[in-house]
Amino acid sequence: MVFRIVYFLKRALRNMWQSPVLSLASIGTVAVALALLAFFTIAVLNVQQLTASWGENLAIVVYLDDVPEEKIVKGWVKDIDSYPEVAEVTFISRDAAFERFRKRLGDDADLVEGLGADVLPASLEITLSDDWRSESALATVVDRLRKDHRFDDLQYGQGWLEKLEAFLLLLRVSGSALGGFLVFAALVIVANTIKLTLYARQDELEAMAMVGGTSLFIKLPYLVEGALQGLLGGFAALALSFLVFQVILQRTLGSLLLITGIDTIHFLPPVWQGMLVLGGSLIGLLGSLFALRKFVRFVAP
Amino acid sequence: MIQLFNVCKAYQRGQNALNDVTLKVDKGEFVYLTGPSGAGKSTLLKLLYCAERPTRGQILVNGRNITRYGPSRIPYLRRNLGIIFQDFKLLKRRTVFENVAFPLEVLGRKRFEISKKVYQTLKNVGLEHRLQHHPLQLSGGEQQRVAVARALVVDPLILLADEPTGNLDPEVTLDIMELFKRANARGTTIVMATHDRGLIRQFPRRIVSLDAGSLATDDLPLFRGEAGMSGYSGMTGQP
Repeated sequence: MVFRIVYFLKRALRNMWQSPVLSLASIGTVAVALALLAFFTIAVLNVQQLTASWGENLAIVVYLDDVPEEKIVKGWVKDIDSYPEVAEVTFISRDAAFERFRKRLGDDADLVEGLGADVLPASLEITLSDDWRSESALATVVDRLRKDHRFDDLQYGQGWLEKLEAFLLLLRVSGSALGGFLVFAALVIVANTIKLTLYARQDELEAMAMVGGTSLFIKLPYLVEGALQGLLGGFAALALSFLVFQVILQRTLGSLLLITGIDTIHFLPPVWQGMLVLGGSLIGLLGSLFALRKFVRFVAP
Repeated sequence: MIQLFNVCKAYQRGQNALNDVTLKVDKGEFVYLTGPSGAGKSTLLKLLYCAERPTRGQILVNGRNITRYGPSRIPYLRRNLGIIFQDFKLLKRRTVFENVAFPLEVLGRKRFEISKKVYQTLKNVGLEHRLQHHPLQLSGGEQQRVAVARALVVDPLILLADEPTGNLDPEVTLDIMELFKRANARGTTIVMATHDRGLIRQFPRRIVSLDAGSLATDDLPLFRGEAGMSGYSGMTGQP
């Protein structure tokens, strides 16, 4: 059995060695298609991560024109905290709000020099729990607060979350569509490249059939060859996307990305890297399979 | 060893390549299939190794009806056959050794066994010094000897040869025929398609003659001992 596996592997490697141009064409096709897919995946994953962090900052702010006694405020906090959607309620006093604002100004803090703390209102900051971080949950909490006449000045990401969710959906749908298209294109191109290889070796296939090679015996080296080419294409795609990630995304766009609030952009997680390489191998295998379907028919008319 | 019963083969163009052919070849026989181009010689051979299917009739090879063999059984039939073509059909990217070893690899033989058998077979055809050469580095006669070695390396029950000497000069033709004679002497049944009457005169054996797809004559050798090997001119002529 081991002898057979080694035999087929050797023949596949030998086939590749004997047709270097066609082999490189197959590997290159898989590499380019998967690298494009990898770039897009990197973009989608990073945008998702970014928007998720935006979502984490999502809060409802209840502005309090007149600050009641501490005891009453604590009661309000307790009331709102009892909502199932709410993770945390924080009271921000006028002083705390002013201090926070001054800190945010940084070097320009002297702009507020001479102003009193009473220029900013006190507020209650309400954060939703992870399970309820959605447009509908936000609307429910806001509705409930509006009905309570104690809180009439509310501010929250009106419409923003809805747009964010729509954007994420669009990104996922277009990502899946583009990814599917790229994989399909790679599959077709690899199948055709392998078909060219088979045209070049038609005499070999015929000779194999004439000496009693079974369909599997004839096909297997080409299937292994396709899978190997796909595997190499997958590795090349990984290397290419990592190179582009390092050189272009991180160095060139690094400063630009900081403006949008992204500290670091991330490369594909290890699981995705593995999927990319295995995906390449699968594309190569399926491409060979499609190409071979027609070719070995002369074995038995 | 080989039996054909009322075998017909029609191609899509409508003309019959073979018409109602009934034929029996015994074990160990050497039979020439002869006739003009288009007589159906190659079609008959193709039916025997299942590269074509008969439109009608039954074919028995080694006692088995191969007429309705499915794709999975055909390779196993071919492992008992040695097939030789006019254009050799060697694997150009492989060495002589690898070409001859290939049928044994198909059979899953051990590497040591393959090396031994291939060397022995190539020695029998006088090419043991060409082991590492590629087919295109060899002359036509040498290539055909490699093809013969590839066919004989598995000790086939039947050797099917389709115009094996068609591209060769008279001297090389004699070499190839000698190899066939030796294989036949070891018990291999041989069916050889040729329209070379000179060759048939030189090596007289049973002659099955086809004409326009029909069996025209089935004669025992008429010229046995008529001419020695040295007298073969390679010319095609009438008996």
